[in-house]
Parts: sequence; structure tokens; C-alpha cells
Amino acid sequence: MIMGWLAFYLRKLYSIVRGEILVLPSRVVVVLFCLFLLLLPLFSKDPYMLRILIQASIFAILAASWDLLSGFTGQMNFGHALFFGVGAYTAALLNLHLHVPPWGSIPFGALAAVLAGLVIGIPCLRLRGTYLALTTLAFPIILMGIVFTLPGITGGELGVSGISRLSGSRIGDYYITVVLMLGLTTLMWKITDSKTGIIFHAIREDELAVRASGINTTRYKLLAFSLSGFFAGLSGGLYAHFMRIAGPSTLEVGLSFTVVIWAVFGGIVTIYGPVAAVFILFPLLEFLRFWPEYRTLMFAVVILLILLYMPEGLIPWIRDKIEKQCPRCKLRNVAVRKTCRVCTASLD
Amino acid sequence: MRRLKVGWMMMAALGLVLAIALPARAADVIKIGVIGPMNFMQGKAHWNGATMAAEEINAKGGVQVGQKKMMIELVKADSNEHINVTDATNAMERLMTQSKVDFVVGGFRTEAVLAMQDIAMDYKKIFIGCGAATDELCLRVAKDYNKYKYWFRQTPINSTFLGRTSFIHLATVGAILKKSLNLPQVKIAVVGEKAVWTEGMIKAAEATIPKMGMEVAGIWQPSPVATDVAAELSAIQRSGAHIIFTIFSAAVGITFARQAGELKIPAVQVGINVEAQKDGFTQATQGMGNYVMTLNTYARGVEFNELTKPFVDAYIKRFGETPTYNAGTYDAIKYTLAPAIEKTGTLDADKLVAYIENSKYMASAGTIAYLKDAEGRPLHEITWGPGYVTSVGVQWQDGELKGVWPNQWKATPEAPEVTYKGIVPYKIPPWVIEAYKK
Amino acid sequence: MILDIIVSGLISGSVYALLAIGFCLIFGVARIVNIAHTAFYMVAGYGIYFGTHKLGFHPLWCMLASVIMVTLFGLIAYKLFIDPIREHEAAVLICTIAMAMAMQEIMLLMFTGDFLSVPSLMEGFFKVLGVKIFYQQLLTFGLVLLILIALWALLMKTKLGLAIRSTAQDREVANLMGINESRAAMVTMGITVGLAGLAGAVVVPLTILEPFMWMHPLIMMMAVVVLGGLGSLKGSFVGAYILGFAEALVVFLIPKGAFLKGSVALSVMILVLLIRPEGLFGVAFEEER
Repeated sequence: MIMGWLAFYLRKLYSIVRGEILVLPSRVVVVLFCLFLLLLPLFSKDPYMLRILIQASIFAILAASWDLLSGFTGQMNFGHALFFGVGAYTAALLNLHLHVPPWGSIPFGALAAVLAGLVIGIPCLRLRGTYLALTTLAFPIILMGIVFTLPGITGGELGVSGISRLSGSRIGDYYITVVLMLGLTTLMWKITDSKTGIIFHAIREDELAVRASGINTTRYKLLAFSLSGFFAGLSGGLYAHFMRIAGPSTLEVGLSFTVVIWAVFGGIVTIYGPVAAVFILFPLLEFLRFWPEYRTLMFAVVILLILLYMPEGLIPWIRDKIEKQCPRCKLRNVAVRKTCRVCTASLD
Repeated sequence: MRRLKVGWMMMAALGLVLAIALPARAADVIKIGVIGPMNFMQGKAHWNGATMAAEEINAKGGVQVGQKKMMIELVKADSNEHINVTDATNAMERLMTQSKVDFVVGGFRTEAVLAMQDIAMDYKKIFIGCGAATDELCLRVAKDYNKYKYWFRQTPINSTFLGRTSFIHLATVGAILKKSLNLPQVKIAVVGEKAVWTEGMIKAAEATIPKMGMEVAGIWQPSPVATDVAAELSAIQRSGAHIIFTIFSAAVGITFARQAGELKIPAVQVGINVEAQKDGFTQATQGMGNYVMTLNTYARGVEFNELTKPFVDAYIKRFGETPTYNAGTYDAIKYTLAPAIEKTGTLDADKLVAYIENSKYMASAGTIAYLKDAEGRPLHEITWGPGYVTSVGVQWQDGELKGVWPNQWKATPEAPEVTYKGIVPYKIPPWVIEAYKK
Repeated sequence: MILDIIVSGLISGSVYALLAIGFCLIFGVARIVNIAHTAFYMVAGYGIYFGTHKLGFHPLWCMLASVIMVTLFGLIAYKLFIDPIREHEAAVLICTIAMAMAMQEIMLLMFTGDFLSVPSLMEGFFKVLGVKIFYQQLLTFGLVLLILIALWALLMKTKLGLAIRSTAQDREVANLMGINESRAAMVTMGITVGLAGLAGAVVVPLTILEPFMWMHPLIMMMAVVVLGGLGSLKGSFVGAYILGFAEALVVFLIPKGAFLKGSVALSVMILVLLIRPEGLFGVAFEEER
């Protein structure tokens, strides 16, 4: 009886895998990636490698949250480090002074980042394009000034240290961050697929038209800032608890720029683009450690070259090479096919 | 077909990652990691000091560990701490898990060292600090001995002692000025860069200076990366200060000295100016940094004991510049770790910690003994005072950094006078003499 | 005290104006947000250091050589990396960031991270009503005015200037009118990089040379340009002095808070933008065409 029931679901799983996942290489890659991340500790418990992947996961959440705001909603945010830093500091302070455990301090840190999102979202409502970008750049710098003004609370340049760990072990930390990363990015992706996500995308394309359609763009823009802030704040809190220190380095301009680089490199207006970019570039930067002097230079050169040939971003370029869109039903197919898998129209 | 290709690519990627992950291990060497910002002065000094120590020890056959002799192998780790604390922690972890070092020396930026210390303590490896002065690093040892006992500080003396020594400099120069220039009351302008580490010192200065019989003319706090302090200098001049008590560790030290020299402000600079410790200071200030006085760990020609001169001279000969405090990695390896290993006959961290914390030995910077706090808990902090490490007060005279303190210094009225070999008298800038001649 | 503030404000305002004008120009004409602008400024400074310190030439010749070299370098970089992808503004932006990072790293490799300095063109200072002013600062101020006049003459009185202005106003129509729009962009790029190099030559003796020095002026410069209104030269000029004075006020009125001057200046910018979203002199039309 139970065997029959199990067999039914296994067959269903098989047909889903064959029908939905294996038809498109991009989906296969995603599934393999998830499996790789989840099953890695079974093969290697090397703490250094796990550390790199944990940090990559944290930054992947950050980059994806940037894409949600700046890619989809078109509000170019050059101060994303603000959310990260607010999340990190809040979680750290709550943990240190009020002894709130990580599973409490991190969400509160994220909520503080949401508030920060609203604080910067409101002035930015009337700004467009480059004005918006440069204004958002200013906020983390102002906050950093405040951080240095109140060294008693924030520890100034020393930051807040002595924070408790995420979990008892490196493997525990790893699974928490990886599962959170996969979950949150899926959530973000689902948001972009929902009605809200469509409105975000529309705001980016033509805000005037959206307003003309009767939608309150102010509310949606603020929502975008808040959501982006929430996810970025979560990643900040995770960072603080993993590194066990939250310092002014979480608010640096360099971090904001790096997030933008990752996202554009991977491809904006996707959520998976920035995630992939982080997982490619961050280990690459670590890998290049054996040429310590040339590391950052090579990083910059790689970015320059990639942007030269793939200005849309790496992942969309790869995706275009391995998949084709059917002209009739608009569904994606493997590039080698001659006819669409659903409507059998010719793909050439 | 394409699916299979993707699958194989993933396998290959996994294999590559694992290949990097699997560490290499050579036998019978003592691996010491040297971690610091290798693209900058501090990291270079870390590496230079360590290299010299390792080579000298290896030239004699290595370190005697019980029955056999083992050579020292240094592992360079670029923490990049100026830019990125994440990088620093990754570098430390890499040292621990990939390079599998036995000991670590180095560190510089406080925020990064606090994080790196945690990692080294997790792996129970001895980490000897040669950079950050913050008291917190050693206070942690007292608070949580079992976790942090593997940490020792080699250089510099901690912030509290740095403050105390600078006040002694102030008193010394204040007395010289009062006598030579016939001043009724010496006024001091306190200028510290806006940073957490200077806060305590500024408050202490406000309290201590009146007790020394001098007056605080005002307090200024420029940004650590200020490129123009002419405004502050105008205000300082107007306040009538005779001495400027500088508390700088960042670039503002250069800007301040240069502009003060260019504007011929009638006040002498005494205190802490880390940039002024470097040989490149004259070029960086375009020669205007003459007569600046600062605290330093080494100075050409100054000898704390018989180990100082061989080290300083060899360092200058090999690297062309005076060693800075970061080159204390030399002392850390040659006079702290190696003798401890030989005496205990083991590389076991716990046994070494127990030995080192109770030892008193000579190093090139002075005699090292480790402090305990008021409750008797070990701090693993180096002792400051005559007969131990006092650091040296240096002054730029005609493009050369000369030692000017301690010069007939008495720590307490009953203590014996201390003057190191190679100390020369302090010089007052001519334009200051001119300004007060009336 | 008031005089101190005025002098200090004028000086820092001039420095920002020098940088902002170039940045504003290239944005107005080619819609390129050149994050590497201050990086060129840094490279020019290093060029002068190399010339004076390692080769021993007189600072003036090093300045000229530096400016020319930086301009050429900028043009080549533009042609190789930016021109091909000019249509994708986001990618151009990242490209300039990457270029700035690359320049920073190359300087780090060549000159290490130590703080260096460059000799002033004119040493010494003089006193005006009790305030000491460096000759070099006066030079900076004078040069800003000179450059502004030269630029105004170029833009208003020459054919090239006309081409640049029309491209800035409406790229497509300018193209239709027979102006080679991409060549105008290239020439403008050369002018702005030259301006950045000139700013470096004049300002660097007043400041400290290190591979990361391009970040702080970048932020202030962008604040100035945004405050003044993107694409408006007059706006950049005015904005530069406003922010320069704001900083001077902070330094003098709150000596203990001198490090906050950057934050205060940026807050001023945000406040102005709240009231007038296109900046003081910016044009409020639909940018995207």
C-alpha cells in the first residue's frame, strides 16, 4: 500500500523532472547548483571552502536584493551597503547588549533595514536615473559619519565585536546560510513573477504609463525599497553573526560598488544573474590569491572584458547561446532543437 | 547531449575545487604564518622582520624541538586588511586550514585583528600580534583565558602605555621649552584624529596636562584622511599654543606636519604620529616635517640592549630603511617562539603558552615580561617601564630621525636615570625660537 | 574667523569645481557617468610624482607631460572599453568603475600603498587679513576661473563648442544635422580627461598621494554635480562653491566634528534635491529618449 503510494509519487517526480527540468539546460544548471550546494559537505568538510561558500551565499542574497530594487524597479541604488550595514549593526547590537539570539536579532536587523529603506526611499521618490543613483550613494556615507560620531554605541572604527555565532559548527553555519540563500532568492524570484513584480518591471520601463493606469507608483516604489532593504538587511545580519564582528567596513562605498558590479556582470533584471555572478566572481577572487598583487587588477580586467563582449551580463548571454525562444508561443527551448517542444513551430 | 556536457562540467568544477581544497603538507618544518597588508608598509615590515629571523635561525640549523632540529618555513598571507576585513578573515582561515601553520605573527588594523584573533583562537594556534595597540585584544585574554590564551602581543606597547609615554614626552619637551624660551606657562593644543583609539587619549590629556603644570589651549579632531588642515592650524596659532600634542596614525599626520611646517606655525609637534615614524616622511612632507617628534619602537643608532644594534643595523643594511614596529615579527619569532620551543621541546600550543606567559627575556626592543591584570589574570601584554620596553622618542632633525628620549629620564623620583646609547638632545625649531624671542 | 571660512570655502570649492566641470561635461554630452574621472586625476598626480621624484625634472614640465599623457591614456581607454558598449549605460558605468579599480591597482603595484607627496609649483604662503593662504591654493583658485573662461569660450565661440552643445541637448537631432556625434563624444572625453589631469596637477601638491585617493573626491564631486544639476556647467560651478562653504562652515564651527564635513555636505545635497529633484540648474525634462 505504502509502496504503491511511494511509487506513484516517484513516478510523478520522474515525469516532472523529465518534462519540466531536463528540457531546458538552464533549469538543469539551477537544479545541479542547488544539489551541489546542499550535498557538498558530504564530500568535503574543508572549513576554508565552506567559509568561502557561506560568504558567497550571504553576498548572493545581497546582490539579488539589489537586483530586485534596481534591476526590476529601475531605481538605481548605489548605496546598497546602507541596508547591509544597518542590518549588520542592528543585529550585532541587539545580540551584544540585549542578548537576543541570532534567529531573533537577524530578522530585527532586517526590519531596521526596511526602515532605512523607507528613509531613503521617500526622498528618492521624485528622483530619476543618475540623480537617484548618486543620492543613494550619499546615504551610507552619512550613516558612516554618524557611526563615527557615536563611538560609544557603535564602537567607531573598531565596530561591534564579540557577537555570538550563527550555530555551533561550521557545517551548521553553512547549511543555515545556503538554505536561506536558496529560499530567499526563490522567494525574490517568485515576487518578480507575481503581480507586484510585474508592476515593478513596468515602473522601470515607463513610470508615467503605470501611473496613468491608475496604479499608485509611490506605494510600489516604497515597497520595492522596503523589500530590497529587508533581504539585504537579512544578509547583513547573517554576515555579522558569521564574522562575529560588525564594523564600518559594512557601510563602505566599495561594497556598494561591488554589489552593483556583481549584479550587472551577472545580468540585471533576472534574479539568478547576480546570484550566479557572486558564486563565480567571489571564489574567483579568492582563487586568485596566489597572485596577491595582481588579484584586484585581474578582477577589474575580467569585468572589463566580459562587459565588452557581453554588455547585457554574463548569464543572459550564456542563456541566449544555449536557449532559443519560440516565435509563436514564446516559450524557451534548447538551442539545438529545430521545433518548439510545445507548439511544434519552427524555431529558425 | 548538452545536458550531459553540463553535468560533466559540473563534475570537473567540483574536482577542481576539491583539488585546491586538499592541502599540501611538508614534513618536519615549523610553519609560521605571517599575516599583514602585504602591499603596504606594515605588511612588508611584518614579512621583512620575519624573514630575517627565519633566515638567521635556519642558518644555524633550525630550531631544536626535543630530539630533532626543524627548520622554519614562513607562509606569507596577505590580509588586505586596509581594504577589506572579510579578506583578512579569509586569509587567516586559509593559513589555518590550507597552509596548516603552527603559529601566526602579524596583524595591523584593529577591526581586522579582532576578527582574525577569534579565528586563530578557534583553531588553538598561537597568534602573536605585531600591529594593533588596542587594549581590548589583551583584555579578552583575561576575560576568557581558556579561549584567548593563545594570543600574545609583541609590539607595540598598548594604547594605555602609548598614552603614558606621550605624556612623558610632553612633560619633557614642555620643560625644555619653558627653560629655553622663558615661558611663564606652557600651552598645549591637543590634536587627535577622529577615531575611537584617540578618544581615551584625548580625555586623558585633558586631565593630565593641567596636572603637569601646563595648560590645554584647545582640542581639535580632524578627519584621519584630512587633506587640508590649514583651518585647524590657523585656529591653533590663534590659541597661542606652544606645543601641539599630536595623536595621529593615519594620513593626516603627513598633511598636518607638512602644512604646519609650510605655514611656520610657532609651536612644536610632540606626541604620536605614525607616519612620521617612516623613512619616507621627509619626502611625503616635502621636507617640511622637520622637528616633528613622535613615539617609535626603533631608531637608528639607539640601543635598548645588546640585541638592538645587530637587528637594526642588519635590517637597514638589507632593506634600506629603519625597522618600524611591525618588524617586531623578528622578535616574535627569534626571541619569543624559538627559545620557547627549544626550552619546552615541543610545538604543543598549550605547553608553549604556559611557558611563554611566565618567561622574562631580552628582545631587540627591550626586555619582555607579560603583565597580569589587577585580579592576577594573565593579559599576555608586554610590560612597559624602565628595564623593560619603553619605546623611544624620536625627532626629525635635518632629514634624519634621531632618538631624543629617554634622555636622563627618571620614571619616578627614586628611580635611576635612563638614557639609552645613541640618544641626542632635543632641538627646538628655529622659527619657534624666533617667534618667542620677544 | 569669517575670513577663514570664506577663504577655506573658496579653496575647497575651487577644487571641487575643477573636478565637477569635467564630470558634468562628459555626462551632458555623452551620457557617460565616468566614475573613473577622479582616477585619472590620481594617475596625473602619480605621473608628476614619478617625474619629479624619480626623474628629477621641474614640476612644471612634469605637470604638462602628465596632463598630456593622462589625456592620451583616457582617450585610448575610452576607445577600447567604453565606445563599443556606449548604448548600454549600466554596462558603461560598471566599466568605468572597473577602469578606476584597475588604475588604482596599477598605481598600487607601481608605487606601493605608501603615502607620497608632490612638490608645489609655488612654495610658500602669504597673509591676507590675518589668514594664511598657500600660493598653491591661490593658483588652484585662479586656474579654476581661467579654465571656466576658456571652456566658456570654447563652448560658445567655436564650432567644436557648438557641436558639443548640440550633442548635449539632443543627440539624435544633432546627428541628423550632420554633426558626427561619436566624434564629438570622443573630443569631449579628451577634454574632460585633460581637465581631470589638470586638476590633478594643480591640486595634488596640496594633498596626499595614495592609490585610494580617488574615492573621496569622487563622492564630493558627484554630490556637487547632482546638486548643481546634471549637465549644467553653471550648476556644477555654483554647487561646488556651495558645498565648499558648507564644509568650511563645519570645520570651523564644530572643530570636534571636522570629520563630519563630508556627511554634512552630502546632507545639504539631499535637502536641495528634496526641494528641487533636478538639482539647482538642472533641466527637468524627460531624459530618456
